[in-house]
Amino acid sequence: MAKYIVRRILSAIPVLFGLSIVLFSFIHLLPGDPAAALLGQHATPELTAKIRQQLGLDQPLYVQYLQYLTQLLHGDLGKSVINNRPVITDFATRFPGTVELTLAALLFAVGIGIPLGRFAARHTQGWQDGVVTVISLFGISIPIFVLGLTLQYVLSVQLHWLPTSGRLDPRTTIPSVTNFMLIDTLLAGRPDAFVDALRHLILPAIALGSIPLAIITRITRASVLDVNNEDYVRTARAKGLTERRVDDRHIMRNAWLPVVTVIGLQVGGLLAGAVITETVFSWNGVGRWVVEAIQDHDYFVVQSSILIFAFIFLAVNLIVDIGYAYLNPRIRYA
Amino acid sequence: MTRTRFGALVAATMIVVAACGGSSATPGPSAASSAAPSSAASTAASTAPSTAPSTAASAAAGTPKDGGTLVAGLPGDMVLADPSLVSDSNSSEIETQVIQGLVGLKPGTNSQLIPVLATALPTVSADGLTYTFTLRQGVKFHDGTDFNADAVVYNYMRQLNAPKSLQNDYNYYFGAVFGFGADSNLASVTATDPSTVVFKLKTPQSNFLLATTLPQFGIQSPTALKAGDADNPDPSKSPYAQGQGGTGKSMVGTGPFMFKEWVPNDHVTLVKNPNYWDTANAAHLDAITFKPYADQTAELNALQAGDIDWAQTISPTDVKTVQSDASLQAIDRGQSCNEFHLSLNNADKPFDNLQIRQAIGYALNKQSYIDAFYAGMAKPADNFMPPATEYYKPLNLPTYDPAKAKSLIASSGVPASELNLTFYYPSDVSRPYMPDPKGLAEAIANDLQAVGFTITFKTEGWRTGYLSDSSVGKFPMDLLGWTCDWAGPDNFLVTDLFYFNGSKPNPQFNYGPADLKAAFDAGIAATSDAAAQQAWGTAQDILARDLPIIPILNSTPPAAAAAYVQGFVGSGNLEEQFNTTWLNK
Amino acid sequence: MTATATPARRAAPARASRGLWRDALVRLTRNGPALLGMFFIVVFVLAAVLAPVISPYDPIAGSLANRLQAPGTAGHVLGTDLQGRDELTRILYGARISLQVGVISVLMGLAIGGTLGAIAGAFGGAVDNVIMRIVDVLLAIPGILLAIGIVAWLDRGLPQIMLAVGMTNAPIFARILRGSLLALRESDFVVAARSIGATPLRLLLRHMLPNALTSLIVAATLALATAIIDVAGLGFLGLGPPDPRTAEWGTMLTDSTKYLREAPYLIFFPGVAIVISAIGFNLLGDGLRESLDPRLRR
Repeated sequence: MAKYIVRRILSAIPVLFGLSIVLFSFIHLLPGDPAAALLGQHATPELTAKIRQQLGLDQPLYVQYLQYLTQLLHGDLGKSVINNRPVITDFATRFPGTVELTLAALLFAVGIGIPLGRFAARHTQGWQDGVVTVISLFGISIPIFVLGLTLQYVLSVQLHWLPTSGRLDPRTTIPSVTNFMLIDTLLAGRPDAFVDALRHLILPAIALGSIPLAIITRITRASVLDVNNEDYVRTARAKGLTERRVDDRHIMRNAWLPVVTVIGLQVGGLLAGAVITETVFSWNGVGRWVVEAIQDHDYFVVQSSILIFAFIFLAVNLIVDIGYAYLNPRIRYA
Repeated sequence: MTRTRFGALVAATMIVVAACGGSSATPGPSAASSAAPSSAASTAASTAPSTAPSTAASAAAGTPKDGGTLVAGLPGDMVLADPSLVSDSNSSEIETQVIQGLVGLKPGTNSQLIPVLATALPTVSADGLTYTFTLRQGVKFHDGTDFNADAVVYNYMRQLNAPKSLQNDYNYYFGAVFGFGADSNLASVTATDPSTVVFKLKTPQSNFLLATTLPQFGIQSPTALKAGDADNPDPSKSPYAQGQGGTGKSMVGTGPFMFKEWVPNDHVTLVKNPNYWDTANAAHLDAITFKPYADQTAELNALQAGDIDWAQTISPTDVKTVQSDASLQAIDRGQSCNEFHLSLNNADKPFDNLQIRQAIGYALNKQSYIDAFYAGMAKPADNFMPPATEYYKPLNLPTYDPAKAKSLIASSGVPASELNLTFYYPSDVSRPYMPDPKGLAEAIANDLQAVGFTITFKTEGWRTGYLSDSSVGKFPMDLLGWTCDWAGPDNFLVTDLFYFNGSKPNPQFNYGPADLKAAFDAGIAATSDAAAQQAWGTAQDILARDLPIIPILNSTPPAAAAAYVQGFVGSGNLEEQFNTTWLNK
Repeated sequence: MTATATPARRAAPARASRGLWRDALVRLTRNGPALLGMFFIVVFVLAAVLAPVISPYDPIAGSLANRLQAPGTAGHVLGTDLQGRDELTRILYGARISLQVGVISVLMGLAIGGTLGAIAGAFGGAVDNVIMRIVDVLLAIPGILLAIGIVAWLDRGLPQIMLAVGMTNAPIFARILRGSLLALRESDFVVAARSIGATPLRLLLRHMLPNALTSLIVAATLALATAIIDVAGLGFLGLGPPDPRTAEWGTMLTDSTKYLREAPYLIFFPGVAIVISAIGFNLLGDGLRESLDPRLRR
């Protein structure tokens, strides 16, 4: 097992390394002279030359790349060229927001998706299955921003049931400790603010969770149906066990493995979806930050944040794979 | 270190470029001489607050109640917590609540001067070179230290002799108004006694007083500035500029509100100053929280949902919605202090041809844009500055007449191949003078196609190239505008549009005949109101003759608030004070 | 982006391809949802192709005097937009753009991803290793960020958008094709063909590719749905076509959010168009998978 884990971790290294090259070249292939572009109307030839020199842009590309890599290995992710704050500082304050949102969306997708999938599988002959199929079909066919804008307009703007945007009512001030709103509000001893933070979380989580919800529903349904046809399930039924007992004891125990795998696979999609969700709901997370950075040509933020995103993505995949291998030893030797 | 330096420069570009939300010309140190005199201050009547046709919060009756927090939506975040280092409207709006100058604008006006930290408007010597201010006594900064003549001198000297990097990239307004060091038009600032300050200028500069109403010339606590390393050449290393430490450590002024905290990209919180010197005008609110919003729609959504109490600007087309909602109110800001125009680069074909420029003027149905995108809250422009500006006169610029446009194109002799115009618009922004740039660009293109032009669209992000590329003349034709700093002709005609750098005209338009420069110079040299009137009148006539760009309209951008927000007084420069605002709930 | 995240099952066709295709077609015509999907797609394609025939209006030029006519106004079934253009006409022409961008971007993805996957799967070994590491790198970047980056890098425009969306699909296609090919390498008929002396190229083109195509076709159909959604998403983030007059559904919808309160139908109609065409391709993709996947034969 340990050997397998080590092998998997080692295999992630070339990917991150390759990614650093891709990102580095991407940034340097952006049209125009970064120095002149960033100086804008201040750009005199002398000033541009000076900035190029200060940035190391007058060095050969491979030298620049090695400098970049050296910094990375020392944990230096650079500074934003827009607000001059270290990338890691902004990332640290914004990342918890994305984690909170992503987990809430995943919780929503799993919490609704699995029961919905089981429900559909139990009623394949009835209209219920059709309804669930249609729900999941809509789930994957509605763009996040369409669903998000609709929920926002109907439930917040018109009906005033839930807040439109942000993570907490602006009138409330909570000391930032972990930057996880749900934790900080509790640390501050403010259950009312905790509820408020929870209410802010609902709509973005639904919008972001809609696609995983659809996928988890489908997989649960399919895998329950697969197991349903297995002999031991028929035997259990033949023994006269109640349908509920068969469901809990025999079907789900065996059907959950593919479901768990798919849940793991959703993380990449959730990070991508967070980019749009955070824009719709003015959510202060890394997704919106990266989009702004790309549009602002904020070089170091783009380089470093995408690298961090990829790192998280690979780490989650690794955890899923290891978990899977742990549960299913055949994988390890394949 | 190098990275830091780089960041500083970039940040400065962004700030300068965002200055007052317009085509911020950067006249550089020579600007002092091009900032023309304007006796706007003496003609306050022309810019007195208008009786607003729509609901004005200030009209609300009742005795103000104290208490409560106002959550205010702004179109962006604060940049730095030291007003001397910023030039964007969001930072200014927040900081003007906290930091006061010697003189200010009367609430609701764009050019009517009132004394603030001075007991009266200054006495001015006959040659216009010496201004003597008598200061209020007993005023304390938010850190408890005394406001006095030494503090005023300290504040001006720190900007006059700012580190080179701050001069280049941060202290935009000080550079634009006075210039730095030995090049400055400011000869000296001296404290003759604890409550008297004397300013000496090198040449007369009658926009001196109006300019110093900007928060950039506000007086901050020298003790706090020093303690917070406010003059660090790299503001990212200055705790003061970064808003660290809270009340009394950063953004320390004398105003009715005190700085409390800044969480970047999330909020800035100000709290009531319990010891405000002007007890009659002390704040009613306990606190204000400013929240940045990505766009006007998000801001209005938040307002409708009750997340915020006040929105700085909403789309004019949403005013109807707001008015039909009993829990909300739209706030009219009175007279326009902005302009919106179609920029033409006169060095590019076919815009070097006067008849083509005139044809474009006749092709545009300005009123239809106002009806469609401004819900009527704008007036077609007949000048390069809004009507409320000092020395304004109607110019009889071309009005909508497509037949005339076609015949002008025909008689211009410009070949058909040159009638394909490349048209830039900003993709990701709405400004008070252009709530929907994309929609406006489409409508304008439609009008231009109708008379025989063809249009190729190009776009860039507002912050990521649009402003900077436009200001250096990379675009042949684009959309831009300007919200005033104060309502003087210099602020529009020179700073915004046609400034000269030496003898070179603003590269954005590449337009600047010798007689225009002479007229500007005459305006600058004018020592009497009559001379100024004549000089600025000549300048406007020249612009009407040459029509270098096409002025489109002057808008009155509405604010919106919850119905319980009372006592707010709007003004056309969008930098309003909240001390009179209270919550009726 | 994520609609294709459903793991495409590896087809392991054991029969000759012609039989497979014929069987699949029969099964497809008996699959109700797939037929509904095809119906949506036919409507979508007809709208795209016949837009100029169906509508008498210009999709680009409007008249402000005519703006924001409510749906149902004489001559304007779906009303008019902010510039006074007929909304139905814009939706029809929007189908053109979506179809064009969707199909071309998926083809680009297939060309790039297919080539990489075919090489990796056919040759295996070190070649496979290198290619798959590149694919891993691409897959490690969230798709929408990759697309935003490409558009930011290459400037805005329809061809750039096609490439951007294509690039997000390429690594997925590469993986699928490689997986199928690797499975096929060891299958009986390929081993048999190899033993009678078929050249590697002939083996790849004649025997392996046609059999590996099934899962790729399913993935490509589903990718059309995501492509339409992704293009709209780029429009939402302000990275749509630079000409604001272009009738692109995502941009049409996003531009109208400013006028949500005045004209909600300008958001509703493009939204419905996006969802229905995505549903069409999703239904057809699912139907194809069921028809082509022999494991589902009963």
